[in-house]
Amino acid sequence: MSGYFCELYSGTKSLFVGLGITFRYMLKPVVTLQYPHESLPMSARFRGHIELIGDEETGAPKCVVCGMCQKGCPSNCISLAGEKPEGGKGKVLTSYILDFTKCSLCGQCVESCKFGAIRFSKDYNLAGPRKEAYIFDLLKRLEEKGR
Amino acid sequence: MNEPDCNPNQETFVINLGPQHPATHGVLRVKLTMDGEYIVHAEPVLGYIHRMHEKMGENRTWAQFLPNTARLDYLGALSYNHGYVQVVERAAGIEVPERAEYIRVITVELNRIASHLLWYGAFVLDLGGFTPLLYAFDDREHVLDLLESVTGARLTFCYFRFGGVYNDIDEPFITGTRAFIKRLRSRLPDYHNLVTKNIIMIKRLKEVGPISAEMCRRYGATGPVLRGSGVCYDVRKNEPYSVYPELDFDIPVYSECDSMARYMVRMDEIDQCLRIIEQALDKLPDGPVMAEKAPKIIKPPVGDYYGAVEAARGTFGIRVVSDGTNTPYRMKLRSPTFSNLSLFGEASRGMLLADALALMGSLDLVIPEIDR
Amino acid sequence: MSMLCETLKEDFLALAPLALVDTDYKAKGYQLDITVAPAQVVEAATIMNRRGYTLEAVTGVDWLASAGPKPAKKAAPAEGEEEPVEAPGAPVAEQMEVVYDYTNTGQELCRVVVRCRIPRANPELPTVSGVFSGANWHERETHDFFGIRFLGHPDLSPLLLPEDADFHPLLKDFRV
Ligand code: SF4
Ligand code: SF4
Repeated sequence: MSGYFCELYSGTKSLFVGLGITFRYMLKPVVTLQYPHESLPMSARFRGHIELIGDEETGAPKCVVCGMCQKGCPSNCISLAGEKPEGGKGKVLTSYILDFTKCSLCGQCVESCKFGAIRFSKDYNLAGPRKEAYIFDLLKRLEEKGR
Repeated sequence: MNEPDCNPNQETFVINLGPQHPATHGVLRVKLTMDGEYIVHAEPVLGYIHRMHEKMGENRTWAQFLPNTARLDYLGALSYNHGYVQVVERAAGIEVPERAEYIRVITVELNRIASHLLWYGAFVLDLGGFTPLLYAFDDREHVLDLLESVTGARLTFCYFRFGGVYNDIDEPFITGTRAFIKRLRSRLPDYHNLVTKNIIMIKRLKEVGPISAEMCRRYGATGPVLRGSGVCYDVRKNEPYSVYPELDFDIPVYSECDSMARYMVRMDEIDQCLRIIEQALDKLPDGPVMAEKAPKIIKPPVGDYYGAVEAARGTFGIRVVSDGTNTPYRMKLRSPTFSNLSLFGEASRGMLLADALALMGSLDLVIPEIDR
Repeated sequence: MSMLCETLKEDFLALAPLALVDTDYKAKGYQLDITVAPAQVVEAATIMNRRGYTLEAVTGVDWLASAGPKPAKKAAPAEGEEEPVEAPGAPVAEQMEVVYDYTNTGQELCRVVVRCRIPRANPELPTVSGVFSGANWHERETHDFFGIRFLGHPDLSPLLLPEDADFHPLLKDFRV
């Protein structure tokens, strides 16, 4: 019988200890953010979808169309094309399409690019009504950014 | 599974738990044959999120399989990264610089803490307590912030590479981790006061859901489930890999075999993880984080190789068969929760449904990893 | 080589396996590599059970594509990439292998791999689920993926694949 009351006492006490903790935290400052109105700074290494890097002076993509990123990608997300301008040296990028629906943000493409022509963007607010909204034309994106 | 061994005169009925049920943590369905509130027979039905990672492995190069390893157990992805790079390094004979190994251990243990914290919250949620989840997620958020600052991702990490890690850790990460260790240490007593000592919790878990060491052995259960049955088995100690032998830590073992024991193992493990991280940060040597001689294109010699690591849920084993090309010939992923769940049918026989859910929660299931 | 490994070796030599190899743990990840005949797998499991071992996994390997070196892969190796299927009648290509990974949860470390070759045309061997209950699911999974039939298994219905699946995706002649 005394065991029963003992348990009753310790049990009730444990509940109040718990409530005490909750009460203590209730008086502490709020740790959450009201997200759309405020947000945290992104960490420097955050991996968003990839983007092309433009040349600092000309703004043209640094990409030399070697195709290593395309080869390294496990999910076949990247399709690119380039052409040889007449008289010029090397190839010039004419299109760079990223199928973000399949991308796993693994970083193989960025690692395999020896020319430092792609990097991860900081875009994370992505939402779209259709699958096609995630087929990104990265060349166009770069041009728009350069403007 | 066998037919229910019930008395034919007894009236039983079948209910489906899941595949969409909050207590199954994902798309797991359990077909339960019930006699009133008691379980006569339980049969987990798997495969709702099966993606055939093993076939994908045979269709990609060794390096291209790396992101897949993060998508098995999405709560403790780095352990799986670690297991995979380790077995390929073993096969291809790549030496990993010491600093990289230390970084691996630090991040893996942080990930383990995050995984246990989430489990803690979700487990108590299964039992009907909502508040602890919020505390656990608050702390877990700090871990994820730390991991994001080095790996660039919050959940599906793809951070390790054959021969090292993707990039080095920096000073803010180290100070941040030290601050986090301090913070979590001060919070753990609250966790225990709030949950461990709570009378409802004790009544629900103590002497409920017995899993004997012998049952674990027959089913191949590992991890906290096995350690909650009094067996001191942890791959980090029994089959030392990486730099774990240089670090001083204990393996929590409880021999009560009940749900409470499994709970306590994980809670104590958080403490040990903090110890490991602290020591690893102290000992962190200087040097490169990527082996200089690591080949760009991996072609392990013909043969088959096995590697095991201690993931948050038990032994993650990986068997690779190489035919000498740049694509694996066969890749077998041995997931711990697959074996841990397989004993559920036997362990839950004759239990009350509500207790069986507590038992299931204490197994710490992650369905994508079971289904692969 | 630990005591346990020595004991196991003696046990297995009494069984007369087809092959028993000491492997280098550092290089391979296991200490003993034993090949047995299909009729011996249950006995092998009984030995492991007697020694307090646990069955970590059961899996298969399809050796169909193993004959001859694979052509070097071109770019984009995802969907629709080819596996060489023209196995020129090499006997190994007509075999499948079932691999049992055993480990002990005691203090001594001695990982044991038991393998068994079976003909590809008629992949059958006895189940070990009577010895290790955990083998039930592992064998079911292996049946799913390779179509290997485990004789005496209580229920070989698909575990991970859809319940009406009639294909075995890990066979090398299965097209993605
Ligand atoms: S991050 Fe990975 S999956 Fe995404 S485009 Fe680059 S290589 Fe492909
Ligand atoms: S690897 Fe770099 S340079 Fe080569 S195609 Fe890709 S982005 Fe362009």
